[in-house]
Amino acid sequence: MINPYYLQIASFILINILLGISIYITLATGQLSLGNAGFMSIGAYTSALLTTKLGVPIPIGMMIGALLAGLFGILIGIPTLRLHGVYLAIATLGFGEVVRVIFINWESMTSGAVGVAGIPHLGRTILAGVQKQGFSPETWGLKNNEFTGLVVFLILLLITLSVIVFFARLNRSRVGRAFQAIRQDEKAASAMGINTTYYKILTFSQGAVLAGFAGALFAHVTGYISPADFTYHRAVEILVFAVFGGGEILWGPIFGATFLTIMPEMLRSLSEYRYMIYGAVLVLMMVFRPQGFIDADLILRLKGKKKEKVYAA
Amino acid sequence: MLLEVQGIGKIFGGLAALEEVSFSIQQGEILGLIGPNGAGKTTLFNVITSFLYPTSGDIFFKGEKISGLKTQAITQKGITRTFQNIRLFEQMTVEENVMVGRHSRSRAGVLGSVFRTAVQKNEEARIRERTEYFLGMVGLAGYNEWPAVSLPYGLQRRVEIARALAGEPQLILLDEPVAGMNESETDEIAELIRKIQGLGITVLLIEHDMTMVMKLCDRLVVLNFGQKIAEGTPQQIQNDPEVIEAYLGQEEEE
Repeated sequence: MINPYYLQIASFILINILLGISIYITLATGQLSLGNAGFMSIGAYTSALLTTKLGVPIPIGMMIGALLAGLFGILIGIPTLRLHGVYLAIATLGFGEVVRVIFINWESMTSGAVGVAGIPHLGRTILAGVQKQGFSPETWGLKNNEFTGLVVFLILLLITLSVIVFFARLNRSRVGRAFQAIRQDEKAASAMGINTTYYKILTFSQGAVLAGFAGALFAHVTGYISPADFTYHRAVEILVFAVFGGGEILWGPIFGATFLTIMPEMLRSLSEYRYMIYGAVLVLMMVFRPQGFIDADLILRLKGKKKEKVYAA
Repeated sequence: MLLEVQGIGKIFGGLAALEEVSFSIQQGEILGLIGPNGAGKTTLFNVITSFLYPTSGDIFFKGEKISGLKTQAITQKGITRTFQNIRLFEQMTVEENVMVGRHSRSRAGVLGSVFRTAVQKNEEARIRERTEYFLGMVGLAGYNEWPAVSLPYGLQRRVEIARALAGEPQLILLDEPVAGMNESETDEIAELIRKIQGLGITVLLIEHDMTMVMKLCDRLVVLNFGQKIAEGTPQQIQNDPEVIEAYLGQEEEE
Protein backbone atom coordinates (compact mmCIF):
# COMPACT_ATOMS: atom_id res chain seq x y z
CA MET A 1 0.00 0.00 0.00
CA ILE A 2 2.59 2.54 1.08
CA ASN A 3 4.88 2.17 -1.87
CA PRO A 4 7.55 4.92 -2.04
CA TYR A 5 7.33 4.90 -5.85
CA TYR A 6 3.59 5.53 -5.87
CA LEU A 7 3.94 8.14 -3.16
CA GLN A 8 6.55 9.95 -5.22
CA ILE A 9 4.28 9.99 -8.28
CA ALA A 10 1.43 11.23 -6.09
CA SER A 11 3.70 13.99 -4.79
CA PHE A 12 4.62 15.05 -8.32
CA ILE A 13 0.93 15.08 -9.22
CA LEU A 14 0.30 17.47 -6.35
CA ILE A 15 3.18 19.76 -7.34
CA ASN A 16 1.90 19.73 -10.91
CA ILE A 17 -1.59 20.60 -9.69
CA LEU A 18 -0.12 23.65 -7.95
CA LEU A 19 1.64 24.60 -11.19
CA GLY A 20 -1.56 24.05 -13.16
CA ILE A 21 -3.47 26.32 -10.76
CA SER A 22 -0.69 28.91 -11.02
CA ILE A 23 -1.31 29.33 -14.74
CA TYR A 24 -5.08 29.09 -14.27
CA ILE A 25 -5.13 31.99 -11.83
CA THR A 26 -3.29 34.26 -14.26
CA LEU A 27 -5.62 33.12 -17.04
CA ALA A 28 -8.56 34.05 -14.82
CA THR A 29 -8.12 37.66 -15.91
CA GLY A 30 -7.44 36.60 -19.49
CA GLN A 31 -3.64 36.76 -19.34
CA LEU A 32 -1.76 33.85 -20.88
CA SER A 33 1.55 33.69 -19.04
CA LEU A 34 4.21 31.19 -20.05
CA GLY A 35 6.60 32.56 -17.46
CA ASN A 36 5.54 30.19 -14.72
CA ALA A 37 8.48 27.86 -15.31
CA GLY A 38 10.66 30.93 -14.72
CA PHE A 39 8.84 31.84 -11.50
CA MET A 40 9.05 28.19 -10.48
CA SER A 41 12.84 28.25 -10.95
CA ILE A 42 13.15 31.46 -8.91
CA GLY A 43 11.28 29.82 -6.04
CA ALA A 44 13.26 26.60 -6.38
CA TYR A 45 16.72 28.19 -6.57
CA THR A 46 16.04 30.73 -3.83
CA SER A 47 14.88 28.12 -1.36
CA ALA A 48 17.54 25.59 -2.41
CA LEU A 49 20.41 28.07 -2.06
CA LEU A 50 19.14 29.56 1.21
CA THR A 51 18.79 26.14 2.83
CA THR A 52 21.99 24.56 1.48
CA LYS A 53 24.34 27.56 1.74
CA LEU A 54 22.96 29.46 4.72
CA GLY A 55 21.22 26.67 6.62
CA VAL A 56 17.88 28.51 6.60
CA PRO A 57 15.01 26.23 7.74
CA ILE A 58 13.07 24.72 4.83
CA PRO A 59 9.70 26.45 5.50
CA ILE A 60 11.34 29.86 5.68
CA GLY A 61 13.37 29.19 2.54
CA MET A 62 10.19 28.20 0.70
CA MET A 63 8.34 31.31 1.87
CA ILE A 64 11.16 33.58 0.75
CA GLY A 65 11.37 31.72 -2.57
CA ALA A 66 7.64 32.12 -3.19
CA LEU A 67 7.64 35.80 -2.21
CA LEU A 68 10.65 36.55 -4.38
CA ALA A 69 8.91 34.86 -7.31
CA GLY A 70 5.85 37.01 -6.55
CA LEU A 71 8.01 40.14 -6.54
CA PHE A 72 9.29 39.22 -9.98
CA GLY A 73 5.68 38.57 -10.95
CA ILE A 74 4.82 42.17 -10.13
CA LEU A 75 7.93 43.44 -11.92
CA ILE A 76 7.08 41.46 -15.05
CA GLY A 77 3.34 41.99 -14.73
CA ILE A 78 3.41 45.79 -14.84
CA PRO A 79 5.30 46.33 -18.13
CA THR A 80 3.46 43.46 -19.86
CA LEU A 81 -0.01 44.81 -18.94
CA ARG A 82 -0.47 46.22 -22.39
CA LEU A 83 0.30 42.91 -24.05
CA HIS A 84 -2.48 40.52 -24.90
CA GLY A 85 -2.79 36.93 -26.01
CA VAL A 86 0.13 35.48 -27.87
CA TYR A 87 2.29 38.60 -27.40
CA LEU A 88 2.08 38.27 -23.65
CA ALA A 89 2.79 34.54 -23.99
CA ILE A 90 5.97 35.21 -25.98
CA ALA A 91 7.16 37.96 -23.63
CA THR A 92 6.69 35.80 -20.53
CA LEU A 93 8.27 32.80 -22.24
CA GLY A 94 11.24 35.04 -22.97
CA PHE A 95 11.38 36.03 -19.31
CA GLY A 96 11.54 32.36 -18.30
CA GLU A 97 14.42 31.73 -20.69
CA VAL A 98 16.32 34.78 -19.40
CA VAL A 99 15.99 33.52 -15.83
CA ARG A 100 17.20 30.08 -16.86
CA VAL A 101 20.21 31.48 -18.70
CA ILE A 102 21.08 33.56 -15.63
CA PHE A 103 21.00 30.44 -13.47
CA ILE A 104 23.26 28.65 -15.97
CA ASN A 105 25.82 31.45 -16.08
CA TRP A 106 25.84 32.57 -12.47
CA GLU A 107 28.16 29.69 -11.68
CA SER A 108 29.64 31.02 -8.43
CA MET A 109 26.15 30.95 -6.91
CA THR A 110 24.22 28.26 -8.76
CA SER A 111 26.97 25.88 -10.00
CA GLY A 112 25.68 26.59 -13.50
CA ALA A 113 24.42 23.75 -15.61
CA VAL A 114 25.55 21.21 -13.00
CA GLY A 115 22.76 22.36 -10.74
CA VAL A 116 22.32 22.46 -6.98
CA ALA A 117 22.69 19.10 -5.24
CA GLY A 118 22.27 18.08 -1.64
CA ILE A 119 19.23 20.27 -1.05
CA PRO A 120 17.69 19.35 2.32
CA HIS A 121 14.93 16.84 1.63
CA LEU A 122 11.59 17.70 3.18
CA GLY A 123 10.79 14.14 4.26
CA ARG A 124 14.25 13.24 5.51
CA THR A 125 14.54 16.50 7.46
CA ILE A 126 11.28 15.72 9.21
CA LEU A 127 12.42 12.13 9.81
CA ALA A 128 15.64 13.38 11.41
CA GLY A 129 13.57 15.76 13.52
CA VAL A 130 11.17 13.15 14.84
CA GLN A 131 13.97 10.65 15.40
CA LYS A 132 15.61 13.21 17.67
CA GLN A 133 12.40 13.22 19.65
CA GLY A 134 12.81 9.48 20.04
CA PHE A 135 10.18 8.49 17.46
CA SER A 136 10.92 5.73 15.04
CA PRO A 137 8.82 5.00 11.93
CA GLU A 138 9.02 1.34 13.05
CA THR A 139 6.34 2.18 15.62
CA TRP A 140 3.91 2.64 12.72
CA GLY A 141 5.36 -0.38 10.95
CA LEU A 142 7.00 1.80 8.30
CA LYS A 143 10.47 1.73 6.80
CA ASN A 144 12.34 5.04 6.77
CA ASN A 145 11.80 5.68 3.06
CA GLU A 146 8.11 4.78 3.38
CA PHE A 147 7.80 7.26 6.23
CA THR A 148 9.49 10.09 4.34
CA GLY A 149 7.42 9.44 1.21
CA LEU A 150 4.23 9.42 3.25
CA VAL A 151 5.10 12.58 5.17
CA VAL A 152 5.96 14.46 1.98
CA PHE A 153 2.76 13.29 0.34
CA LEU A 154 0.60 14.32 3.28
CA ILE A 155 2.23 17.76 3.55
CA LEU A 156 1.78 18.34 -0.16
CA LEU A 157 -1.80 17.12 0.03
CA LEU A 158 -2.54 19.55 2.83
CA ILE A 159 -0.92 22.42 0.93
CA THR A 160 -2.70 21.57 -2.32
CA LEU A 161 -6.09 21.29 -0.63
CA SER A 162 -5.53 24.63 1.08
CA VAL A 163 -4.62 26.24 -2.24
CA ILE A 164 -7.71 24.76 -3.89
CA VAL A 165 -9.96 26.00 -1.08
CA PHE A 166 -8.25 29.41 -1.27
CA PHE A 167 -8.95 29.88 -4.95
CA ALA A 168 -12.37 28.22 -4.90
CA ARG A 169 -13.45 30.71 -2.26
CA LEU A 170 -11.79 33.59 -4.02
CA ASN A 171 -13.67 32.69 -7.20
CA ARG A 172 -17.01 32.84 -5.42
CA SER A 173 -16.53 36.39 -4.20
CA ARG A 174 -16.44 39.98 -5.35
CA VAL A 175 -12.79 39.55 -6.31
CA GLY A 176 -13.45 36.37 -8.30
CA ARG A 177 -16.35 38.02 -10.12
CA ALA A 178 -14.05 40.90 -11.01
CA PHE A 179 -11.52 38.41 -12.45
CA GLN A 180 -14.21 36.79 -14.58
CA ALA A 181 -15.58 40.12 -15.74
CA ILE A 182 -12.11 41.23 -16.87
CA ARG A 183 -11.54 37.98 -18.75
CA GLN A 184 -14.88 38.21 -20.53
CA ASP A 185 -14.91 41.92 -21.41
CA GLU A 186 -12.20 44.16 -20.02
CA LYS A 187 -13.75 47.47 -21.09
CA ALA A 188 -17.18 46.56 -19.74
CA ALA A 189 -15.48 45.44 -16.52
CA SER A 190 -13.90 48.87 -16.09
CA ALA A 191 -17.35 50.40 -16.59
CA MET A 192 -18.43 48.39 -13.52
CA GLY A 193 -15.82 50.32 -11.55
CA ILE A 194 -13.35 47.44 -11.60
CA ASN A 195 -9.72 48.54 -11.41
CA THR A 196 -8.56 46.23 -14.19
CA THR A 197 -4.88 47.10 -13.77
CA TYR A 198 -4.89 46.15 -10.10
CA TYR A 199 -6.66 42.83 -10.62
CA LYS A 200 -4.50 41.86 -13.59
CA ILE A 201 -1.31 42.47 -11.65
CA LEU A 202 -2.86 40.72 -8.65
CA THR A 203 -3.53 37.52 -10.60
CA PHE A 204 -0.18 37.72 -12.33
CA SER A 205 1.67 37.91 -9.03
CA GLN A 206 -0.57 35.32 -7.37
CA GLY A 207 0.32 32.95 -10.19
CA ALA A 208 4.00 33.80 -9.72
CA VAL A 209 3.88 33.22 -5.94
CA LEU A 210 2.17 29.88 -6.42
CA ALA A 211 4.59 28.79 -9.16
CA GLY A 212 7.52 29.87 -6.99
CA PHE A 213 6.12 27.96 -4.04
CA ALA A 214 5.62 24.86 -6.18
CA GLY A 215 9.22 25.27 -7.38
CA ALA A 216 10.50 25.42 -3.81
CA LEU A 217 8.52 22.28 -2.95
CA PHE A 218 9.95 20.60 -6.04
CA ALA A 219 13.49 21.44 -4.88
CA HIS A 220 12.93 19.97 -1.42
CA VAL A 221 11.16 16.88 -2.70
CA THR A 222 13.72 15.94 -5.35
CA GLY A 223 16.78 17.22 -3.46
CA TYR A 224 18.42 18.28 -6.70
CA ILE A 225 17.64 21.01 -9.24
CA SER A 226 19.33 22.23 -12.38
CA PRO A 227 18.42 24.74 -15.09
CA ALA A 228 17.31 21.78 -17.23
CA ASP A 229 14.29 21.39 -14.90
CA PHE A 230 12.98 24.79 -15.94
CA THR A 231 13.28 24.92 -19.72
CA TYR A 232 10.48 26.03 -21.98
CA HIS A 233 9.40 22.37 -22.05
CA ARG A 234 8.33 22.89 -18.46
CA ALA A 235 6.53 26.13 -19.38
CA VAL A 236 4.63 24.34 -22.12
CA GLU A 237 3.90 21.37 -19.87
CA ILE A 238 2.32 23.70 -17.30
CA LEU A 239 0.30 25.37 -20.05
CA VAL A 240 -0.90 22.00 -21.28
CA PHE A 241 -2.26 21.13 -17.82
CA ALA A 242 -4.61 24.09 -18.13
CA VAL A 243 -5.36 23.70 -21.83
CA PHE A 244 -6.01 19.96 -21.59
CA GLY A 245 -8.01 20.04 -18.37
CA GLY A 246 -9.77 23.30 -19.19
CA GLY A 247 -8.54 26.79 -18.38
CA GLU A 248 -11.79 28.43 -17.33
CA ILE A 249 -12.68 26.38 -14.28
CA LEU A 250 -10.45 25.71 -11.28
CA TRP A 251 -11.05 21.96 -11.63
CA GLY A 252 -9.71 22.00 -15.19
CA PRO A 253 -5.98 22.34 -14.47
CA ILE A 254 -6.36 20.07 -11.43
CA PHE A 255 -7.71 17.33 -13.65
CA GLY A 256 -5.21 18.13 -16.42
CA ALA A 257 -2.21 17.95 -14.09
CA THR A 258 -3.41 14.71 -12.51
CA PHE A 259 -4.22 12.94 -15.75
CA LEU A 260 -1.13 14.08 -17.62
CA THR A 261 1.19 13.13 -14.76
CA ILE A 262 -0.31 9.68 -14.29
CA MET A 263 -0.61 8.76 -17.96
CA PRO A 264 3.10 8.59 -18.87
CA GLU A 265 3.70 6.58 -15.68
CA MET A 266 0.95 4.10 -16.57
CA LEU A 267 2.40 3.75 -20.04
CA ARG A 268 5.97 3.37 -18.79
CA SER A 269 6.17 -0.17 -20.19
CA LEU A 270 5.79 1.27 -23.69
CA SER A 271 9.02 3.24 -23.18
CA GLU A 272 9.53 5.78 -25.97
CA TYR A 273 6.10 5.24 -27.47
CA ARG A 274 4.33 6.70 -24.45
CA TYR A 275 5.08 10.27 -25.45
CA MET A 276 3.59 9.56 -28.87
CA ILE A 277 0.42 8.50 -27.11
CA TYR A 278 0.66 11.59 -24.90
CA GLY A 279 0.84 13.72 -28.04
CA ALA A 280 -2.01 11.87 -29.71
CA VAL A 281 -4.22 12.37 -26.66
CA LEU A 282 -3.52 16.10 -26.78
CA VAL A 283 -4.36 16.30 -30.47
CA LEU A 284 -7.61 14.39 -29.96
CA MET A 285 -8.48 16.67 -27.09
CA MET A 286 -7.98 19.77 -29.20
CA VAL A 287 -10.16 18.30 -31.93
CA PHE A 288 -13.05 17.19 -29.74
CA ARG A 289 -12.91 19.48 -26.73
CA PRO A 290 -10.90 22.58 -27.61
CA GLN A 291 -12.11 24.31 -24.45
CA GLY A 292 -10.46 21.58 -22.36
CA PHE A 293 -11.89 18.52 -20.66
CA ILE A 294 -13.67 20.37 -17.87
CA ASP A 295 -15.69 23.49 -18.66
CA ALA A 296 -18.53 25.40 -17.03
CA ASP A 297 -21.11 23.40 -18.99
CA LEU A 298 -19.82 20.08 -17.69
CA ILE A 299 -19.87 21.32 -14.09
CA LEU A 300 -23.46 22.51 -14.49
CA ARG A 301 -24.47 19.18 -15.97
CA LEU A 302 -22.78 17.29 -13.12
CA LYS A 303 -24.70 19.42 -10.66
CA GLY A 304 -27.87 18.69 -12.64
CA LYS A 305 -28.56 22.38 -12.97
CA LYS A 306 -28.35 22.59 -16.74
CA LYS A 307 -30.91 25.02 -18.05
CA GLU A 308 -32.42 24.68 -21.47
CA LYS A 309 -31.35 27.48 -23.74
CA VAL A 310 -34.08 29.95 -24.54
CA TYR A 311 -34.27 31.77 -27.81
CA ALA A 312 -35.87 35.07 -28.63
CA ALA A 313 -39.37 34.71 -29.96
CA MET B 1 -25.89 71.29 -12.41
CA LEU B 2 -25.08 67.58 -12.25
CA LEU B 3 -22.99 67.18 -15.40
CA GLU B 4 -21.41 69.90 -17.49
CA VAL B 5 -19.96 69.16 -20.90
CA GLN B 6 -17.78 72.06 -21.99
CA GLY B 7 -16.48 72.41 -25.52
CA ILE B 8 -15.83 68.73 -26.05
CA GLY B 9 -14.07 67.81 -29.28
CA LYS B 10 -12.97 64.39 -30.43
CA ILE B 11 -10.92 63.91 -33.56
CA PHE B 12 -10.36 60.50 -35.13
CA GLY B 13 -7.43 60.78 -37.54
CA GLY B 14 -8.47 64.09 -39.05
CA LEU B 15 -12.20 63.44 -38.82
CA ALA B 16 -14.00 65.45 -36.16
CA ALA B 17 -16.50 63.12 -34.50
CA LEU B 18 -17.36 65.81 -31.98
CA GLU B 19 -16.79 69.54 -32.27
CA GLU B 20 -17.19 72.10 -29.48
CA VAL B 21 -20.10 70.27 -27.88
CA SER B 22 -21.36 71.96 -24.72
CA PHE B 23 -24.48 71.31 -22.65
CA SER B 24 -25.38 70.54 -19.10
CA ILE B 25 -27.65 68.13 -17.30
CA GLN B 26 -29.81 69.19 -14.37
CA GLN B 27 -30.17 67.02 -11.32
CA GLY B 28 -33.16 64.68 -11.68
CA GLU B 29 -34.06 65.27 -15.32
CA ILE B 30 -34.29 62.92 -18.27
CA LEU B 31 -32.16 64.40 -21.01
CA GLY B 32 -32.46 62.94 -24.50
CA LEU B 33 -29.47 62.95 -26.83
CA ILE B 34 -30.72 62.63 -30.39
CA GLY B 35 -29.40 63.00 -33.88
CA PRO B 36 -29.02 61.03 -37.11
CA ASN B 37 -26.73 58.00 -37.31
CA GLY B 38 -23.10 58.98 -37.09
CA ALA B 39 -23.88 62.26 -35.34
CA GLY B 40 -21.49 61.39 -32.52
CA LYS B 41 -23.94 60.41 -29.77
CA THR B 42 -22.23 57.17 -28.74
CA THR B 43 -18.83 58.86 -29.09
CA LEU B 44 -20.04 61.43 -26.58
CA PHE B 45 -21.11 58.63 -24.19
CA ASN B 46 -17.69 57.07 -24.62
CA VAL B 47 -16.01 60.39 -23.84
CA ILE B 48 -18.14 60.99 -20.73
CA THR B 49 -17.24 57.51 -19.38
CA SER B 50 -13.57 57.77 -20.49
CA PHE B 51 -13.84 54.89 -22.92
CA LEU B 52 -12.33 57.55 -25.15
CA TYR B 53 -10.45 60.66 -24.08
CA PRO B 54 -11.55 63.97 -25.62
CA THR B 55 -9.20 65.85 -27.92
CA SER B 56 -10.36 69.13 -26.38
CA GLY B 57 -12.76 70.37 -23.74
CA ASP B 58 -13.63 69.33 -20.19
CA ILE B 59 -16.39 67.50 -18.39
CA PHE B 60 -17.47 68.33 -14.87
CA PHE B 61 -19.56 66.11 -12.61
CA LYS B 62 -20.97 67.86 -9.55
CA GLY B 63 -18.48 70.65 -10.16
CA GLU B 64 -15.49 68.32 -10.25
CA LYS B 65 -13.50 67.75 -13.42
CA ILE B 66 -13.81 64.12 -14.51
CA SER B 67 -12.46 64.20 -18.05
CA GLY B 68 -9.10 62.42 -18.04
CA LEU B 69 -10.04 60.09 -15.19
CA LYS B 70 -10.09 56.36 -15.81
CA THR B 71 -13.38 54.63 -16.55
CA GLN B 72 -13.49 52.86 -13.19
CA ALA B 73 -12.97 56.15 -11.34
CA ILE B 74 -15.91 57.70 -13.19
CA THR B 75 -18.11 54.74 -12.27
CA GLN B 76 -16.96 55.14 -8.69
CA LYS B 77 -18.05 58.79 -8.76
CA GLY B 78 -21.57 57.78 -9.74
CA ILE B 79 -21.93 57.56 -13.52
CA THR B 80 -22.85 54.18 -15.00
CA ARG B 81 -23.92 53.19 -18.49
CA THR B 82 -25.38 50.60 -20.82
CA PHE B 83 -24.11 49.79 -24.28
CA GLN B 84 -25.67 50.12 -27.70
CA ASN B 85 -24.25 46.73 -28.71
CA ILE B 86 -25.06 44.77 -25.56
CA ARG B 87 -21.94 43.94 -23.57
CA LEU B 88 -23.05 41.49 -20.92
CA PHE B 89 -20.51 39.14 -19.39
CA GLU B 90 -21.35 36.21 -21.59
CA GLN B 91 -20.38 33.32 -19.38
CA MET B 92 -22.15 34.65 -16.31
CA THR B 93 -25.68 34.22 -15.13
CA VAL B 94 -28.11 37.12 -15.03
CA GLU B 95 -27.55 37.46 -11.29
CA GLU B 96 -23.76 37.41 -11.54
CA ASN B 97 -23.85 40.13 -14.18
CA VAL B 98 -25.81 42.40 -11.87
CA MET B 99 -23.60 41.48 -8.90
CA VAL B 100 -20.54 42.57 -10.88
CA GLY B 101 -22.34 45.87 -11.44
CA ARG B 102 -22.13 46.42 -7.70
CA HIS B 103 -18.34 46.17 -7.67
CA SER B 104 -17.89 49.91 -7.27
CA ARG B 105 -20.12 49.94 -4.18
CA SER B 106 -18.37 47.11 -2.35
CA ARG B 107 -14.84 46.65 -1.11
CA ALA B 108 -14.02 43.07 -0.03
CA GLY B 109 -10.43 42.16 -0.92
CA VAL B 110 -8.60 38.88 -1.34
CA LEU B 111 -8.23 38.01 2.35
CA GLY B 112 -11.77 38.98 3.28
CA SER B 113 -13.08 36.90 0.39
CA VAL B 114 -11.03 33.82 1.24
CA PHE B 115 -11.53 33.88 5.00
CA ARG B 116 -15.17 34.98 4.75
CA THR B 117 -14.99 37.62 7.45
CA ALA B 118 -18.18 38.95 9.00
CA VAL B 119 -17.75 42.21 7.09
CA GLN B 120 -17.40 40.32 3.82
CA LYS B 121 -20.46 38.15 4.53
CA ASN B 122 -22.59 41.18 5.30
CA GLU B 123 -21.39 42.90 2.19
CA GLU B 124 -22.11 39.84 0.05
CA ALA B 125 -25.61 39.59 1.53
CA ARG B 126 -26.15 43.26 0.73
CA ILE B 127 -24.93 42.70 -2.85
CA ARG B 128 -27.47 39.90 -3.26
CA GLU B 129 -30.24 41.95 -1.71
CA ARG B 130 -29.64 44.91 -4.03
CA THR B 131 -29.27 42.54 -7.00
CA GLU B 132 -32.68 41.05 -6.19
CA TYR B 133 -34.13 44.54 -5.89
CA PHE B 134 -32.85 45.76 -9.24
CA LEU B 135 -33.73 42.51 -11.01
CA GLY B 136 -37.25 42.92 -9.71
CA MET B 137 -37.32 46.55 -10.77
CA VAL B 138 -36.40 45.78 -14.39
CA GLY B 139 -38.88 42.89 -14.44
CA LEU B 140 -36.41 40.01 -14.28
CA ALA B 141 -37.26 38.54 -10.88
CA GLY B 142 -36.72 34.79 -11.01
CA TYR B 143 -34.23 34.91 -13.88
CA ASN B 144 -31.25 34.87 -11.48
CA GLU B 145 -29.70 31.57 -12.52
CA TRP B 146 -30.20 31.95 -16.26
CA PRO B 147 -27.13 32.31 -18.42
CA ALA B 148 -27.35 35.98 -19.44
CA VAL B 149 -26.83 35.31 -23.14
CA SER B 150 -29.64 32.73 -23.27
CA LEU B 151 -32.20 35.49 -22.71
CA PRO B 152 -33.99 37.17 -25.61
CA TYR B 153 -32.45 40.42 -26.78
CA GLY B 154 -34.99 42.67 -25.06
CA LEU B 155 -34.41 41.01 -21.70
CA GLN B 156 -30.64 41.27 -22.13
CA ARG B 157 -31.09 45.04 -22.38
CA ARG B 158 -32.94 44.92 -19.07
CA VAL B 159 -30.07 42.97 -17.49
CA GLU B 160 -27.73 45.73 -18.67
CA ILE B 161 -29.94 48.37 -17.09
CA ALA B 162 -30.10 46.41 -13.81
CA ARG B 163 -26.32 46.03 -13.91
CA ALA B 164 -25.87 49.77 -14.41
CA LEU B 165 -28.33 50.50 -11.58
CA ALA B 166 -26.49 48.13 -9.25
CA GLY B 167 -23.63 50.62 -9.18
CA GLU B 168 -26.01 53.07 -7.41
CA PRO B 169 -25.34 55.85 -9.94
CA GLN B 170 -26.46 59.44 -9.69
CA LEU B 171 -26.35 59.66 -13.48
CA ILE B 172 -27.15 56.73 -15.76
CA LEU B 173 -26.33 56.77 -19.47
CA LEU B 174 -28.65 54.60 -21.56
CA ASP B 175 -27.52 53.95 -25.13
CA GLU B 176 -30.55 53.09 -27.28
CA PRO B 177 -32.40 51.04 -24.66
CA VAL B 178 -35.36 50.29 -26.94
CA ALA B 179 -33.51 49.60 -30.20
CA GLY B 180 -35.29 46.79 -32.03
CA MET B 181 -38.21 46.65 -29.61
CA ASN B 182 -41.89 46.72 -30.48
CA GLU B 183 -44.31 49.33 -29.19
CA SER B 184 -45.42 47.60 -26.02
CA GLU B 185 -41.85 46.69 -25.06
CA THR B 186 -40.87 50.30 -25.71
CA ASP B 187 -43.64 51.50 -23.40
CA GLU B 188 -42.41 49.16 -20.68
CA ILE B 189 -38.88 50.50 -20.95
CA ALA B 190 -40.18 54.09 -20.91
CA GLU B 191 -42.07 53.20 -17.75
CA LEU B 192 -38.87 51.71 -16.30
CA ILE B 193 -36.92 54.88 -17.11
CA ARG B 194 -39.53 56.93 -15.25
CA LYS B 195 -39.11 54.60 -12.28
CA ILE B 196 -35.35 55.16 -12.46
CA GLN B 197 -35.98 58.90 -12.43
CA GLY B 198 -38.27 58.28 -9.45
CA LEU B 199 -35.29 56.90 -7.54
CA GLY B 200 -33.64 60.30 -7.92
CA ILE B 201 -31.31 59.13 -10.66
CA THR B 202 -30.64 61.52 -13.51
CA VAL B 203 -30.93 59.95 -16.96
CA LEU B 204 -29.04 60.70 -20.15
CA LEU B 205 -30.65 58.81 -22.99
CA ILE B 206 -29.65 58.15 -26.59
CA GLU B 207 -32.66 57.05 -28.57
CA HIS B 208 -33.93 56.99 -32.13
CA ASP B 209 -37.57 56.29 -31.27
CA MET B 210 -38.93 59.84 -31.55
CA THR B 211 -42.36 59.08 -30.14
CA MET B 212 -40.76 57.77 -26.98
CA VAL B 213 -38.17 60.53 -26.75
CA MET B 214 -40.75 63.29 -27.15
CA LYS B 215 -43.01 61.79 -24.49
CA LEU B 216 -40.31 60.82 -22.01
CA CYS B 217 -37.60 63.46 -22.03
CA ASP B 218 -37.64 66.72 -20.12
CA ARG B 219 -35.13 68.28 -22.48
CA LEU B 220 -33.32 67.28 -25.64
CA VAL B 221 -29.89 67.93 -27.09
CA VAL B 222 -29.57 67.43 -30.84
CA LEU B 223 -26.29 66.49 -32.49
CA ASN B 224 -25.56 66.50 -36.19
CA PHE B 225 -22.15 65.76 -37.72
CA GLY B 226 -20.55 66.05 -34.31
CA GLN B 227 -21.98 69.47 -33.54
CA LYS B 228 -24.77 70.49 -31.23
CA ILE B 229 -27.44 72.06 -33.40
CA ALA B 230 -30.19 72.54 -30.85
CA GLU B 231 -31.12 72.19 -27.21
CA GLY B 232 -34.48 72.60 -25.51
CA THR B 233 -37.78 71.04 -24.55
CA PRO B 234 -39.31 68.45 -26.90
CA GLN B 235 -41.78 71.16 -27.93
CA GLN B 236 -39.00 73.58 -28.90
CA ILE B 237 -37.00 70.90 -30.68
CA GLN B 238 -39.97 69.78 -32.76
CA ASN B 239 -40.38 73.33 -34.02
CA ASP B 240 -36.69 74.11 -34.52
CA PRO B 241 -36.14 74.72 -38.25
CA GLU B 242 -32.53 73.55 -38.16
CA VAL B 243 -33.49 70.28 -36.49
CA ILE B 244 -36.30 69.74 -38.91
CA GLU B 245 -33.94 70.30 -41.79
CA ALA B 246 -31.17 68.11 -40.43
CA TYR B 247 -33.16 65.34 -38.97
CA LEU B 248 -36.89 65.35 -38.61
CA GLY B 249 -37.20 67.04 -41.97
CA GLN B 250 -36.93 63.76 -43.77
CA GLU B 251 -40.16 62.65 -42.17
CA GLU B 252 -42.04 65.77 -43.11
CA GLU B 253 -41.18 65.39 -46.76
CA GLU B 254 -42.77 61.97 -46.93
